[in-house]
Amino acid sequence: MLEIRNITVRFGGVVALNDVSASFAQPVSGIIGPNGAGKTTLMNVLSGFVTSTGGSVTRDGQELLKLAPHRRAHWGLRRSFQKEEIADDLTVFENVLVQIDHGRSPASQKTDEVSRMLALVGMADRADKPGARLNSFERRLTDVAKCLVGQPRVVMFDEPAGGLSIDETRQLGALIRQIHAETGAQVLVIDHDVDLIREVCAETLVLDFGKRIAFGPTDAVLNDASVKAAYLGTEEV
Amino acid sequence: MKRLLHVTPSGWTGFAFAAFCILILPEISGRYWLSVFTSAGCFALAIAGVAFMYARLGMVSLTQVGLMGVGGWVALRLNYAFGWPFEVNMVLAALATMVCGWVLALPALRMRGLYLALVTLMAAGGLEIIFATFQFPNGGTGFWGVKTGSADPFLRPWIATSPEAYLRYVIICAVLGFVFIELHRRLQPGRAWALIRRSEAAAMAAGVNVTLYKTWAFGIAGLLGGAAGALLAGSLGLLDDGTFRASESVMIFALAVVGGARYWQGAVVAAVLYKVLPALLNIWGVDADLAFVIFGVGLLHAVITAPDGIAGQLIDAVRGLTAKRRKEASDA
Repeated sequence: MLEIRNITVRFGGVVALNDVSASFAQPVSGIIGPNGAGKTTLMNVLSGFVTSTGGSVTRDGQELLKLAPHRRAHWGLRRSFQKEEIADDLTVFENVLVQIDHGRSPASQKTDEVSRMLALVGMADRADKPGARLNSFERRLTDVAKCLVGQPRVVMFDEPAGGLSIDETRQLGALIRQIHAETGAQVLVIDHDVDLIREVCAETLVLDFGKRIAFGPTDAVLNDASVKAAYLGTEEV
Repeated sequence: MKRLLHVTPSGWTGFAFAAFCILILPEISGRYWLSVFTSAGCFALAIAGVAFMYARLGMVSLTQVGLMGVGGWVALRLNYAFGWPFEVNMVLAALATMVCGWVLALPALRMRGLYLALVTLMAAGGLEIIFATFQFPNGGTGFWGVKTGSADPFLRPWIATSPEAYLRYVIICAVLGFVFIELHRRLQPGRAWALIRRSEAAAMAAGVNVTLYKTWAFGIAGLLGGAAGALLAGSLGLLDDGTFRASESVMIFALAVVGGARYWQGAVVAAVLYKVLPALLNIWGVDADLAFVIFGVGLLHAVITAPDGIAGQLIDAVRGLTAKRRKEASDA
């Protein structure tokens, strides 16, 4: 279980996250909210790029907030960014390998694992293709493969379906649903695509103006009146 | 391992060019040109260091000639103080300069782009003042080892005492430097640097220790700069503070961009422009300052039309020609 407790982030006078808590227990969970709700800020707190004032994030008894960002990756935290971060001058294989380069396992074991995960995401036949020559979906799939290697414990996707077609989004959703079974990792997905969230996430946290406004089973949350109001607004009387 | 040791067509071209420089160039060069080519070889090694930092990490270092000066100073000092073999002095000078590179990296780690360039330029300015104030050792006593009058003899490598042999020695050292950089590029550091260049946040999320790998890069640039400085000291027997001005560091960085920072050919082109072209202008009786005008034109050319420099353009042209010939052959 991934426990997030009392996370508060301030940027000057702006409160980006206000005492947010949630216990993610499902294999795949979602985080949604309107623009500026604090979703990516929460992901950045988990990654170590933004420091929260107090609070804690624990999983398997490990306090994540005490670790440096790269140490969190060594521990098993994986994330993708809104824009796929693939190095242009590395091949697909190398882009994935860099994620487990720090590990102490033998080189042959690392290359086998990279090959296996590239096969899982459907990029095995393009393993030697340079990053500069990938289209956006191939870049996204390479990003997903990066998140799967090295025995991940928590995998976070920040708007993974951004810019993808309906078919590609469906394919990506199917892939995200396989992650827990393949690796045992818990998955967090941030996206504006409510259909994707409904399809892959068993539970969902909803943020608005940095506050938690709902958390629970996805269907129940999406039908919540306060969530609808946050997305669609309320009728002024 | 196979992937690590794979020699690309560009690599074979490099080895062929090195073989030409080792076997033929010393035989056809007079004393003046031997000295020019030896200096060019030393600067090619130093330029490779600064070009690698720019190409692999996107970091601009404007201290490289200053670091060469540090390497040269240490090599001279060790030579006059202990009389150790040249190789020992060169390795120690390179290691000492690598440590200087690390020290320089400390304030620079939190900076990028223009600010990083300014910090390194200030360091180059500081080194310039130190060299101008204390001069380079020439066999004197005390810590600085400077005396008035002619310098004591400098021990060259026992296998390369003649100018011809020393040119070969410098070329071999430069080739080893290029191979050292290429091996790094193909291994874990190269992958980490590529990701850091793409995005530091993405690199950290991938478990890359950004501080470690940036420091490592500064260390390698320092190591190569220090070795190049020691080789230059071996070539000339004494060093002059005028060689290591901060403006020269700016110049070799600009020439690394003009030559093409991503390719070994770029460092060679930059070294030729920096050392061989002014020598050629001297021979022709033209003011060597004309070289600066040519450098400026080259920089404008690189900025406007050739982001990968002259080497990038040449490689693209060769690839285009090869592809055209293959197509013609297949059509026929």
